[in-house]
Amino acid sequence: MSPLLHVVEAGTPVQGNDELEKNLVQVEKVAYSQGLPPEAVSIMLEFAMSLRMGKTVFASASKWVNWGISMRVFRVRKLLELQSKLGRQPFLLHLLSLYKVFCPELVTLSIPSRMKSGFRNHISPWKSALIAVQKRNGLQGASSISLVFTNKDKTNPRKRKHCHLEFPALIPALNKEAQSEQSSSRRVVPLVELHSFAQLLENMHRIELPAQMGSLLGSSLALQYLDCVQDESALLRLNFWLGYAFHEEFLFCGDGGPSQTSEEALQFLNKLLSAQHFLQEGFSSSEVFLYKFLNVWDGSLLRPQILGLLSNIPVVPSSQIRRLLFEPLMQLFFTSSLFFKCGLMECLTNMLLKWLTWHSIYALEDDLDISLNSHTSINMTLSGFKDSMMELIHFVGRLASVGLQLEGCHCLLLSFVLDFYETVCDTFLKYGLPLIVMPPAGVFYPALFATDPVSVDRLAYIMHSNALNVAFHISRQTFREFNHYVVVMVNCLWNSRMFHPGMGVQLGEELLLKSNVPQYGSSFDLVHHPAFMNYAVNFHQKCWPGKKDMDLNSIKHSKPWSWYLEYLFTQGYDGLKHFVQSNISWQLKADDGQVDSQQR
Amino acid sequence: ICFSVVRTPTDSIVAQRRSKNKSYRQSYRSCLGAASRLGHTPGWTVRRLNTSRRTKSHNITEKVNPEHLALLVKTEWQLSYVTPLYQFRHTQLRSYSRQLSAFITAEKQQGLAVEVEGTQTSFRVSFSVVQGLGETDDDAETVLVQIHSKPVFAGKDEAQKLVWSGWLTCINGNPEYLHSLPKDFTCLPLFGSRGAENLTSLVKSWFQQTFDCCFGPLEINQTCQQWLAALWTNCHIESSIQHLKMIWTLPVEPPLQITYTVNPQDAWELWNSVRTPLLERREEEEETARSIDIEEVTRFMQGLMSHFYRHFRLDLSAGRLSQVSSALGSAKFSGRIKMSNSRYVLTTLSLLTECALLKMPI
Repeated sequence: MSPLLHVVEAGTPVQGNDELEKNLVQVEKVAYSQGLPPEAVSIMLEFAMSLRMGKTVFASASKWVNWGISMRVFRVRKLLELQSKLGRQPFLLHLLSLYKVFCPELVTLSIPSRMKSGFRNHISPWKSALIAVQKRNGLQGASSISLVFTNKDKTNPRKRKHCHLEFPALIPALNKEAQSEQSSSRRVVPLVELHSFAQLLENMHRIELPAQMGSLLGSSLALQYLDCVQDESALLRLNFWLGYAFHEEFLFCGDGGPSQTSEEALQFLNKLLSAQHFLQEGFSSSEVFLYKFLNVWDGSLLRPQILGLLSNIPVVPSSQIRRLLFEPLMQLFFTSSLFFKCGLMECLTNMLLKWLTWHSIYALEDDLDISLNSHTSINMTLSGFKDSMMELIHFVGRLASVGLQLEGCHCLLLSFVLDFYETVCDTFLKYGLPLIVMPPAGVFYPALFATDPVSVDRLAYIMHSNALNVAFHISRQTFREFNHYVVVMVNCLWNSRMFHPGMGVQLGEELLLKSNVPQYGSSFDLVHHPAFMNYAVNFHQKCWPGKKDMDLNSIKHSKPWSWYLEYLFTQGYDGLKHFVQSNISWQLKADDGQVDSQQR
Repeated sequence: ICFSVVRTPTDSIVAQRRSKNKSYRQSYRSCLGAASRLGHTPGWTVRRLNTSRRTKSHNITEKVNPEHLALLVKTEWQLSYVTPLYQFRHTQLRSYSRQLSAFITAEKQQGLAVEVEGTQTSFRVSFSVVQGLGETDDDAETVLVQIHSKPVFAGKDEAQKLVWSGWLTCINGNPEYLHSLPKDFTCLPLFGSRGAENLTSLVKSWFQQTFDCCFGPLEINQTCQQWLAALWTNCHIESSIQHLKMIWTLPVEPPLQITYTVNPQDAWELWNSVRTPLLERREEEEETARSIDIEEVTRFMQGLMSHFYRHFRLDLSAGRLSQVSSALGSAKFSGRIKMSNSRYVLTTLSLLTECALLKMPI
């Protein structure tokens, strides 16, 4: 090949020179099939620059530059000289952009938007040729350099208003001189260039962070790297940008915050939420923002997103949790719609779940020595963690009790509340935290008397799970509570002794008589309970199809009773099933007397 | 954390968990532990300006380069707050000058690349340090940025003119906050600029891309303006304020703007009458270095407002103070400040630095 180059080097004029053209075509063919060594490329480059009409040759030369030859300053100068001669040419721009990406300290460039599209069409055939040759030579695909064009769209006024919500472009660090102190000899790979997890792993030890950390929020690869490396400065940079975006959009915007949901704000929060979801934790700047925002929030602006962010906050020390979290939430809760109440319940359930998960992964056998911040001495010990958990659980209990009253025991709200208590049941057995809490009366009774059978069933399931919990170490107070609830449930559903003395709900005799409800004791048993009455009626019809008069009490006789229970259990009420099986033992009597039951 | 190699596999898993624990902690850190970064008041979610400040005037004409000083005073600056700069080096200013030069030139001539080290940039940028402006060792040195350019139809020999200038400063920044930042960060939270808006946004973009910082508008709120009014009036004996002018905007339809100018002697008398008697103050304070409390400022403003009410039956507190000015300077709600007397530059910049630090997101 070298003889070819020597011929070309002669500096012959291009036009009308068939010999030269033939040689050039030959060189190109070789280039496409095998690639050219760096020296050959240098020569071609210099040759092209010396020609008067160097366009065609130069166009091919640009991709040879791609192949990681060392960028020397004089080449840049030559290119710039050429640029001053030829003006804005696409191939020149392409080359210079590469220099900008790799050596921003040598050259800088700004590409207007109208040129970008023509650009892309120009580069793509070369790119594919390049990749093809590289593949053949077995070289790494690191040259799939995506030139990042900074967004020059300044014409849209709306965009300018929300520019703080625009995620920065992912460009390599520009401030290289400062970094060269640390990484003088080894070659660093800008995070921009990595496109797969495998590449990330390969280059883990020499990754260079981008110019603006905020740009990483959209890339799961980058987030993974961030999570592993735990570079304090990098995280702080990210948090500064994130905090800035939050404050400008939601807190510093004049009287009382933004009034409408903007599309940009929604996208921003959704992106952030997916980043947090990916990392399984929140960012400290979003935590700071939320504590401030809760005091000015109206409860409806971007509600799902804000509640989503809230569920990601880390464990709050019990000394601060009331002031920071509970007080603003209480104010919001009691003046809000049913949907907000449900949303908040769900958020707090998720928060509980995340705190439990965190504990179960990071707790050791001894005390949890987790400094929440390595600069200060706030250590959260296991007991501190338990305190925070208790505070949260009791807070939700209070919210639920009053909320259910305010909403007339609405079944949707009840469902979310029961979700929470189902999670609380799992605390000990699933997550290893010795914390057993019974639902408060304000939750227990609405669930017991609920008009939908699912709620009653879920309550039974909760009580059953707690039965398993109390088998372990538990305080006397909690045991007494638990026991009391079980007794009430059994007497209510089974023994038809609701409203009798000592059965939780105390109502005076005269009041009960005034209600004109006959046999009030059995008004909430499994046959007469409003939630189950239609099952009882169905059962009655199936059991005694001929009978004209409906007498639900006849189900109470021992044989129909056990059939009735079977029937109920087949309808999917597993909670009831487990509760009954673990708490009640009864025997079928020979005669048709009432069922006698004993609590286990 | 080191672990002995002798551990059995199950133990080593525990060992790994322990080390992951420590590293996990950094990202999972609750902001509550970083209380030191979040403000100087106990209720850190609501940060406030200092309730008392010293009024000592500083003769900085000896300490500061007179050219720099001439640039700072008697010019109206537009203020912004800036989050801490990452890996900013005061030793690299020449390199920054070249980089910003090339950046601006490249942006102006879209599509034509510009060599950073070259000399053909149409804008000449210079970064310099304003020495002598700081008071404490915690404050980073003030940085001045100036952009010179040849006018469009200039002759060949015409010199370049100063078309834009700006500065980044930190005067008496809260030491707790400054110490809480890692070493790679330089805190220069107050940014002032003067010149074409497009150049300002280019400079900001360059800073954002190079040092991963964020710029946000800094307005001079009611409290801050009231402080300035009081501080200026306090200086009347030393340097005459000539007048105390306030512009209020009242929320009526159509909006009413009231310009309320007070005779300097009257202002001074009112101010003196609201000051807490010297006997109640600490013994060691000299007359010249007395500090002012927020209560005194509030009383002063109330005095002014009630005087206005007596005459016009309009309660100014229902409106908003949009500007205060005197011979010593002017401050507008929109974030424009002018310091007309070099003696009070440090006091004013301290106040504004505080305002900027209050805007730090974390």
